[in-house]
Amino acid sequence: MTLDLLTPVGALIGLLPEIVLTLTSLVVLLVIAFRHETIDDSLLAGRLSLVGIALAGVALSGLWYADITAAPGMIVLDAWRFAGSALILGIGFFTGLTSLRFLTQQRLFAPEFHVLLLFALIGMLLMTAAQDLMVLFISLEIMSVSVYVLVGFDRFRRSSAEAALKYFLIGAFASGFLLYGIALTWGATGATQYGPIAVKLSASTVFTLAKLGLGLLLIGFAFKVAAAPFHMWAPDVYDGAPTPITGFMATGVKAAAFIALGRMLMIAFPALKPQWQPVVGVLAVLTILVGNVVALAQHSLKRMLAYSSVAHAGYLLVGIWTGSEMGMTAVLVYLASYCLTTGACFGILLAVERLGSRTVLIDDLEGLFSVRPWAALAMAVCIFSLLGFPGTFGFIGKWNLVTAALAEGNWILPLALVAGSAISIGYYLPVVMAMTLKPTRAKEAHRQVQFSPAMRSLIALAAAGILLFGVWPNEVQSIASLGAKALVDLQLSALVGR
Amino acid sequence: MQAFLASIHYSEWILHTLLLLPLAGVVAVLLSPVPWARWLAAAVAGTELLLSLGLWWAFDAANGEVQFRFHADWIPQYGIGYAIGLDGISLFMVLLSTTMMPLLVVGGWNSIQTKQRGYYALLMALKTGMIGVFVALDLFLFYCFWELLLIPMYFLIGVWGGTRRVAAATQFVVYTFVGSLLMLVSVVAMVRVVGDATGVYSFDYAYLLEHRALLAPSAPWLFTGFALAFAVKVPLFPFHTWLPDAHVEAPTAGSVDLAVILLKMGTYGFLRFAVPFFPTFALSEGTATLFTSLAVAGIVVAALVAMVQKDIKRIIAYSSVSHLGFVMLGIWAGTVESVQGAIIIMLAHGVSSAALFFLIGMIQERRKSRLISDFGGLATYAPRLTTAFVLTSFAAIGLPGLSGFTGEFLVLLGSWGRYPIATAIATTVVVWSAAYLLWAIKRMFFNPLVHEEIREVKDLDSRELVVVVPLVLAMLWIGLYPKPFLSRTESAARHFVEQVAPHYPGQPAALAEAAQ
Repeated sequence: MTLDLLTPVGALIGLLPEIVLTLTSLVVLLVIAFRHETIDDSLLAGRLSLVGIALAGVALSGLWYADITAAPGMIVLDAWRFAGSALILGIGFFTGLTSLRFLTQQRLFAPEFHVLLLFALIGMLLMTAAQDLMVLFISLEIMSVSVYVLVGFDRFRRSSAEAALKYFLIGAFASGFLLYGIALTWGATGATQYGPIAVKLSASTVFTLAKLGLGLLLIGFAFKVAAAPFHMWAPDVYDGAPTPITGFMATGVKAAAFIALGRMLMIAFPALKPQWQPVVGVLAVLTILVGNVVALAQHSLKRMLAYSSVAHAGYLLVGIWTGSEMGMTAVLVYLASYCLTTGACFGILLAVERLGSRTVLIDDLEGLFSVRPWAALAMAVCIFSLLGFPGTFGFIGKWNLVTAALAEGNWILPLALVAGSAISIGYYLPVVMAMTLKPTRAKEAHRQVQFSPAMRSLIALAAAGILLFGVWPNEVQSIASLGAKALVDLQLSALVGR
Repeated sequence: MQAFLASIHYSEWILHTLLLLPLAGVVAVLLSPVPWARWLAAAVAGTELLLSLGLWWAFDAANGEVQFRFHADWIPQYGIGYAIGLDGISLFMVLLSTTMMPLLVVGGWNSIQTKQRGYYALLMALKTGMIGVFVALDLFLFYCFWELLLIPMYFLIGVWGGTRRVAAATQFVVYTFVGSLLMLVSVVAMVRVVGDATGVYSFDYAYLLEHRALLAPSAPWLFTGFALAFAVKVPLFPFHTWLPDAHVEAPTAGSVDLAVILLKMGTYGFLRFAVPFFPTFALSEGTATLFTSLAVAGIVVAALVAMVQKDIKRIIAYSSVSHLGFVMLGIWAGTVESVQGAIIIMLAHGVSSAALFFLIGMIQERRKSRLISDFGGLATYAPRLTTAFVLTSFAAIGLPGLSGFTGEFLVLLGSWGRYPIATAIATTVVVWSAAYLLWAIKRMFFNPLVHEEIREVKDLDSRELVVVVPLVLAMLWIGLYPKPFLSRTESAARHFVEQVAPHYPGQPAALAEAAQ
C-alpha cells in the first residue's frame, strides 16, 4: 500500500507508532495529574507507559508487515526506519521495566519519570524516520531535553544533578553546532529535505558552505554519540545518571543517533562522501583508541561501561565510514548486538548496585559466582559478547564491521577495530575474573543482589539471545540487510528520481 | 569391521556425534545433581572414545584427501558454512583427544573436590572445541572453535589451578586472544581477496585453497596474521613465555589438555592453513630461515632453560616447547618423511606428555610438592610409579623403541636434505633432553633419601594404573610397530608435500610467481 504523506490520513498512518506513544504520554500525564504521590501511582504510570510502548510496537509491526510505503517527504517509511524503531522501542520497554523497581527503591515517587521516558522515545522514533534536517533537529531536541531531565532525576544525589547540568550544557552546545550546520546546508542548497539536498549537491560544484555545514553537523552528531574528541562529557554523565537512564543513554540515545546519522550521510550527502569519509574514519580510530585505553584505568563498573560504550561508538563509526550497503547492514547488526548486550549489562549492574544504593567497583563483584551463579553467568555472557568472542552476538557484530570495512579496501580501520578489541580484554576480563575466579569477600552483600521475576526473565532472555544470535544470526542479518538495502535504494532514487 | 561400519553409515554421523555429544554432556552435567557429575562425564567420555575408535577402520589410509566430508549452509549471506571433514593429519588429533577424555575423568576422579559440576562441564566443552578445531573445514567455523577453547581453559586454570592461577589464566587468555584477532582480520581479508576476483565469497577451506594463487600478492600480510596466531599457540620461541606459567598453575587435566591438544592446534594450523595457503611466501628463503631458526632456537633454548628448573612440571613444560620446535622444522622441510614425522611427533608428544603430566599430578597429590629438591629415593617406595615415569621419560627423550624416536628420526631424516644446519643443531636436542630429564629422574627417584616423608608415599593404585598403563602401551606401540600410524598419515603427508613442493625457492611455481 502506498501512502500520500501530504494528506492527513497518510501522515496519520505514516506516524502511527509516534502517535500511539504521544497519546499514551498524554494519557499518562492526565492520570498522574490526579495521582502522583504514592508508590502505587508511580507504578501505575510506569505500567501504563509500558502498555503504550507495547502498543507502539504493535503499530510499528503493523506498518512493517503491511508493507506500507510512501514517497519520501519529511519522513520516510522504510526498513531502515522500522528496524531502528523496533530496536528503540525494545530499549524503551526494557528501560521502563527496570525503572519500576529502581524508582520505588530510591523513593523517587515521581511518575513524571515515565512521561519523560515516553517523550524521549517519541523523539527517538522520529529521529529514525526523519528525512529532513528540521524534523531531525526537532526530534533530536525532543529526545535530548527529556533525557537532560531524566539524567538529573535522582534529586537526592548531587552527582545526578551535576551530570544533568553537564549534559545539558554540552548538549545545548552540540545542538548549536547542529543547528548552525543545518542553516549552512540550507544556505548552500536551499533545501532541508535530504532528497533535494542530495540532488543539489550532486548537480553543481560543491560550495564550501555545504562542506562547512556538513562539518558542523558531524560535530553535533559526534557530541551526541560521544565520539572522541567530543566524548569528554560521557563518563561523568553516565556515572552520575540513575543507572536505568545510563543504560538508556548508552543504548537508546546512541542507537537513535547512529540510525539518524547513517540516513543523513547516506541520503543527503552521498556527493560529499570524499569529504566526510576521512573525517568519520579519523573519528572512529580516535574513539576506539581513547575509549578503550581510558576504560583500562577504571575501577567503577559503571564508569568502565561508560568508557566501553565510547569505544563501541568508535566501532560503529567504522560501519558508518563505509557508506556502503554492507556497512549499513553491519551498523544495524552491531547496534542490535550492542544494545542487547549493554542493556542486559546495565540490568545486572542495577541489581548488583541494589537498585542504585551503592557504587559498584569491579572488585566488589569478587566471588559473585558462588552466591549468585546465574547472574554472574549472564554477566559473563554479556562481557564476552562485548569483547567480541565467537559464539556470542557481539562477535557477529564485529565480524560484520570488519568485513564491511575490508570490502572497501581499507586496512587501517579493521586493524584499529581489532586492536581496540585486543585492548578491551584488559578491562573486560577482570570483570569475569572477579566474579568467578576471586574468592568471595562480601557474601552478605552478594546475597542482597536480587532480581524481580520480570527482570530475571528479561535478562535470561537477553543472555539466551546473545548466545542464540551468536550461533544463528541469519534472521537478524537478513532484517539488517533489508534496512541497509532500503537506505541504498532511497539514495539511488533520491538522485535519479528527480 | 569396515563392512559393519558401512552398514551403520558410520561415516555420515560420526563427526557430528563427536562434536555434539560432549555439548549434550555439558547440559546434562549442569542440570543433574553434583554426585552424578563425574559419572556422567565418564559415561560421555567412554561413549565418545568407543564411537571414535571406528575412525581407525573407517578411515581410508590410501586417500590423502579429506574424508567424512560434510557441508551445510550456516550463514549463507556471508558464504559461511558448517563444513567438516577429516584427513590423515587430523585423524590422530581427533583420536588423541577422544582417548584423553576418559583418562582425564578417571585421572581426576578424586582430586577434584570443589565445584565438580563446573569442572566436568568445562572439560567436556573443551573437548567439543578441540575436536571442532581439527575437523572444521570452514575458516569461520575454525575460528569459532579456536576461540571457544579459550573460555573453558581460562576457567580450568583460573578456578582449579595453583596459587598463581589467576595471573597465569589471564596471561594465557590475553596472549592467545590477541594473537588470534589478527588471524580474524587475515581470514576476512582472504575471503575478500578471493571473492573479489571470483565473485563468490566463501569461507570454505577447499574453495579458498583452490584459488590460493589469487592470494599471492597479499600473502605477506595474510600469512603474518595466521602465523602470529599459530606461533603463539605452538608456542614458537619467543612467544612461549605463557606456556610454563599456564602449565605450572593449571590442574592436571588442564596441563594434559594444554600439552596434548592445545599446543598441537598451532602446528596443525601451520600444516592445514598457513603453509598451504601461502606456500610461496611461507617457504621463501627469508620466511623459511626465520621459522626454522626460531624453531631450532626454541628447541635449544627451551632445553637449556629446562635444565635449570626446580619444578618438575616446569621442566616438562619447557620440554614441550623443545619438541614442538621439531614439528615446526618438519613442516618447513616439506618432505613426505619430515611431514609424517611431524604428525607422528604431534601424536607421540601427546601421549608421552600426557603420561608425564598425569604422573606429576599423582606425585603432587602424594607429596604436596613438585619441587625436585623435595624428593629423593622415591624408587624404593614407589617402584611402579618410578617405572612408569622412567619409561615415559625415555619415550620423551626419544629412545629407540619408544614413541618419541619414530617421529624425531623421520623429521631429522626428511629435513637433512633441505636444512642441514638447522637439522644438525636440532639433533643435539636428544642429548639435551636426555640431560635434563635423566638428571631430574636421578634427583627425584634415585638419590639417597633425605626427606622422611617420602617413606609415606604410596605406589600407584589400580585407578591410577588404569590411566597410566594405556599410555605406556601406546608409547611402546608407536615406538615398536609404527606401521599403522605411518600408513594412515602417509597419504595426507604426501598430499601436503605435493601442494607445497613446487613453491620452494627455485621450483617452478615459485619462479612463476616471482615472474609475475
